[in-house]
Amino acid sequence: MNAHLKMDKPDDRNRLDDMAQGLLGTAMDRPEGPLKVTGTATYAHEAHQPGMLHGVLVRATIARGTLDGVEAAAVEKMPGVRKVMWGDKFLRNPAQGTANKAPVQGSSEIYYIGQPVALVVADSFEAARHGAQSLELRMTAGTAVPDAKADGVAVERPEKKQSSMGDLKAAMQDAAFTVDQRYTTPGHNSAPMEPHSAIAWWDGDQLTLHASNQMLKYNVNEVADSLGIDPENVHLLAPYVGGGFGSKLGISPDAVAAALAAKELGVPVSVMLTRQQVFENVMRRSETAQDFQLAADKDGVLRGIGHTARVSQLPDESFAEPVTQATPFLYKGENRETHMEIVRVNQTCAGSVRAPGEAVGLTALEIAMDELAVATGIDPVELRKRNIPDRSPGEDKPFSSHKLAEALDDGAAIFGWADRKKGATDGEWLIGYGMSSAARVNMIGESHARVTLNPDGTLLIETDMTDIGTGTYAILTQIAGEMLGVPQDRIETRLGDSKLPKSAGSGGSWGASSAGSSVYMACEKLRQTIAAKLNCDEGDLTLKDGTATFANKQTPLTDLVGDAPMVVEGAIEPGKTQKDFRQATFGSFFCEVGVNSVTGEVRLRRMHGSFAAGRILNAKTARSQCLGGMTFGIGMALTEELIQDTRDGHLVNHDLAEYHIPVNADVPQLSVNFIAERDPYANPMQAKGIGELGICGAGAAIINAIYDATGVRVRDLPATMDKILPGLPDV
Amino acid sequence: MDITFLLNGETVTAQAAPTVTLLDWLRTERGLNGTKEGCNEGDCGACTVMVTDASGARSLNACILFMGQLAGKAVRTVEGIAGPDGALHPVQQAMVDHHGSQCGFCTPGFVVSMATAHLNGRSDHDDQLAGNLCRCTGYAPIVRAAKAAADAPVPVWMRDTAPDAKTPHAPTSADDLAAWYLDHPNGTLIAGATDVGLWVTKQFRDLGDVAFLHACTDLQTIDVTDNAIRFGAGVTMTQVLDAVAADYPSYAAMIRRYGSVQVRNAATIGGNIANGSPIGDNPPALIALGATLHLRRGDALRDVALQDYFLAYGKQDRQPGEFVTGVTIPRGRDAHRVYKLSKRFDQDISAVCGGFDVTVSDGNVTAACIAFGGMAGVPKRAAAVEAALIGQPWNAQTIADALPAFAADFEPLSDMRASAAYRLEAAQNMLQRYFADLSGVSVNVREVSA
Repeated sequence: MNAHLKMDKPDDRNRLDDMAQGLLGTAMDRPEGPLKVTGTATYAHEAHQPGMLHGVLVRATIARGTLDGVEAAAVEKMPGVRKVMWGDKFLRNPAQGTANKAPVQGSSEIYYIGQPVALVVADSFEAARHGAQSLELRMTAGTAVPDAKADGVAVERPEKKQSSMGDLKAAMQDAAFTVDQRYTTPGHNSAPMEPHSAIAWWDGDQLTLHASNQMLKYNVNEVADSLGIDPENVHLLAPYVGGGFGSKLGISPDAVAAALAAKELGVPVSVMLTRQQVFENVMRRSETAQDFQLAADKDGVLRGIGHTARVSQLPDESFAEPVTQATPFLYKGENRETHMEIVRVNQTCAGSVRAPGEAVGLTALEIAMDELAVATGIDPVELRKRNIPDRSPGEDKPFSSHKLAEALDDGAAIFGWADRKKGATDGEWLIGYGMSSAARVNMIGESHARVTLNPDGTLLIETDMTDIGTGTYAILTQIAGEMLGVPQDRIETRLGDSKLPKSAGSGGSWGASSAGSSVYMACEKLRQTIAAKLNCDEGDLTLKDGTATFANKQTPLTDLVGDAPMVVEGAIEPGKTQKDFRQATFGSFFCEVGVNSVTGEVRLRRMHGSFAAGRILNAKTARSQCLGGMTFGIGMALTEELIQDTRDGHLVNHDLAEYHIPVNADVPQLSVNFIAERDPYANPMQAKGIGELGICGAGAAIINAIYDATGVRVRDLPATMDKILPGLPDV
Repeated sequence: MDITFLLNGETVTAQAAPTVTLLDWLRTERGLNGTKEGCNEGDCGACTVMVTDASGARSLNACILFMGQLAGKAVRTVEGIAGPDGALHPVQQAMVDHHGSQCGFCTPGFVVSMATAHLNGRSDHDDQLAGNLCRCTGYAPIVRAAKAAADAPVPVWMRDTAPDAKTPHAPTSADDLAAWYLDHPNGTLIAGATDVGLWVTKQFRDLGDVAFLHACTDLQTIDVTDNAIRFGAGVTMTQVLDAVAADYPSYAAMIRRYGSVQVRNAATIGGNIANGSPIGDNPPALIALGATLHLRRGDALRDVALQDYFLAYGKQDRQPGEFVTGVTIPRGRDAHRVYKLSKRFDQDISAVCGGFDVTVSDGNVTAACIAFGGMAGVPKRAAAVEAALIGQPWNAQTIADALPAFAADFEPLSDMRASAAYRLEAAQNMLQRYFADLSGVSVNVREVSA
């Protein structure tokens, strides 16, 4: 049986609210928790195979040029070394999210320092590493453009990424208040705790690959296309993924290298990236330079917004950080200029890092809005509320559901925004308060899942969807348990296997909504089947704790299933509600910082976020996504910054010692609250994505609080102490 | 070589080269994949294991822990934290309950850090977990889990008794070491391996002849008299922290941010000084105290003022075959203060670290010892600043008048930690903070919370 829904019209039945099990939306523990705390969950580099060899990638040491050859013979003579490989099929760049085909390949052209150009395979990891370090590369250096900020770099302005509306110039001239400033954000790395790695083996022409990937449906095709084989012959497994944050959307060089070596040598081969290689080989978020022009009338209402963003990328890569993504719909303004500029550089490929676009674009906009609040003298919360549009002004679309005002009010009330004290100090520390709005576009992708109701009353949920820490195992269990009235301990959820029905995968905050809706569809069909057996309408059926109730008559599910399992494949795909409506999640951040008057150090003292993201599927995992997102925002505001050597693009801080993700002490107790919302345009669950909202604008609240504490306006992130101290009064 | 130790309650003898890391051995030789590699350089704590010896149980980073350091010790990995019957340890159950595990990759390291702290009765969870990075949770759920498990009894299986076994390449006394080092002047001494470990895992160096120092128990003593504290070179930074906490709380507060628990549990005071890092945090603190370094070559002993030991970037006053045996600091220097300044609060190399000790008699400065790390190629005294203070009345005007002298003492670099201008201004401000601090103004450099 199948159940398929194209989301062409809203579903405002809110059917999940009628269910009886009481599992969905609760803070159910993640079912795989015990495996994770005992170290028995198997990540990509843990499916060790008998006779497995180890491969280590060799990095290019020039920023542009050609690889003319490698001195393989000398290395192949080293103890334990089996093979030195390079060639046309090795990945030059990782695949972008949803690429669905091979990324750019080939060892011979070198485009950035750190590009993987060869592989050394050996009996032990140490021997492979030694061989990789010893391998001499014959390279011819070409002309590189390593510095995106150098004078005279070529700038592309793709036509599709430019838009104009009204007359912004006139609006700026006529405005009672304006902001006209440049903001910059540095490059970021996703830095998931699990480095990318792969173990590959072949059985005839069948490839099995354990890898660290977020989107198996696409990744299978990327692997197959890279190797020139039929996707049917690729079996990809990623049951547990140690964080992704965008960096595992597409395949990375380790996967193809492991597959090529395993084929060549006829034995399983593992390739794991070192942390340094994760920084150099996978994806960086581009640095941005963003020019904002805000034109407001005397009441602080925006009449115009200009947003021009410059990002960088390798030549021939189509992805550009979509910096301006939220600008068209967040605030009012009938006069608009939105422009993207791309500089081509010889640096690690730019790609998706948690919340591409809004993470940096909204952060800059929200700093600009704070500047407007200062200029107008209007409270920052009130200023934002005055600027909430009725329709998406830059796109001329209605909103599907819009809860920014509620999130602003809720956050302000919980934080105690009205009670903040101006000019407070605590010893050496100057205290300040800041806030910002949160917003992130919402979408779904085509997704399939199979739900099996077994004769013994147990449920099996199967999809190639991944759980990258987000809680997929938990929420799919909850959705099915809620719909079919089956307790958690009778439900098994299987994920991360490309042989299972194909889902949208994890990424872009669409995983839970997409995969969850496919499970919902399958369960709805199962409910109809059960109802038919009881001769009732599905809507009149109550399913709870393994029992069906209709007209005061209770029937155990086990009596209704029969001898053969009931199996339904459910599917969802986006339709007109996605195209014709602006779907987005909204929220607000409020925080208090201390700035040290002696040193310029900043410490976040407390932070709150209120978020509206439709139906909340699991109170615990949803909250955790927001806490984690806010923590990314803390890093963005205060510490995280990729630093390249301007001479050759070499990434200077390519490790966790020098790329500073927040540590425990950087993160005070954060609080999160959800605004009740059902978005019928989103999907039949009325749920929206929550994996990225917590980072979108969070950093701005901190930057704005620093201004409140010190009068120092940081426009170049992160707000390190050397940017703040010069603006402080003498000690 | 054969290395015998207890692994999750079972005696094992590993055949391994002495500089293979425990992490690699666990994962590739032993098939124990619970211990994770997140960075392979002691930054992230995903590989944390518990190691028990006569001094007790402590958490260590397995990625920079050599097999040669393990003979005669007991190792417990995440696979050994649950009971033999599979019962979850209280911290594991609390991590499930409080959603402290999300993607789960950092989890084993956190679980071992938490279980070790739990065993040791530590309730300073923030400090105990400062050496573990998490990218998912924002930490609070993990800290809540640690709190929730705090009162549960320690499971019986957690208490290990280390077997009796000796390491090849391990001298058992300073005499042994002196003789070995004379014979192998180009050899490498390995104490905690928090730095030498990186020579292997990051720089891929072949260490050649090595001597592990953990069996030299006579280098691990702390001798406290009325006037002085003498630390053996092999005393760990964790032990230094405890030993100075009463006399020098500001120094102890700085050590609290020195590496992480795992790093401090391994790193030794002698190793830190011998390596001569220009940005190590110990030297400015110790130089300001007028610390004396004890060195030995063969039977020849000599003492050198610590400030004179650092000759130039990467160059110290140490002869081939000569090693650090200990360092002595005076007691009762109540005006001693240390201020560490880094971009990130924990686990970050200082932009500037300042040590101060000014003596005031009858309102006038009679002596001053001020030293900085991060301001020059070596940890360096601020001689011109000291000169500007000595003989002057101890007041705000004197401080203000001394500030220009910083430019005579230091020409710091601009790098990714901080700009030169910032370093100079921050160092000047630190002197002003020091004046305020001694005047009784509260100085809380740690963190602030509402």
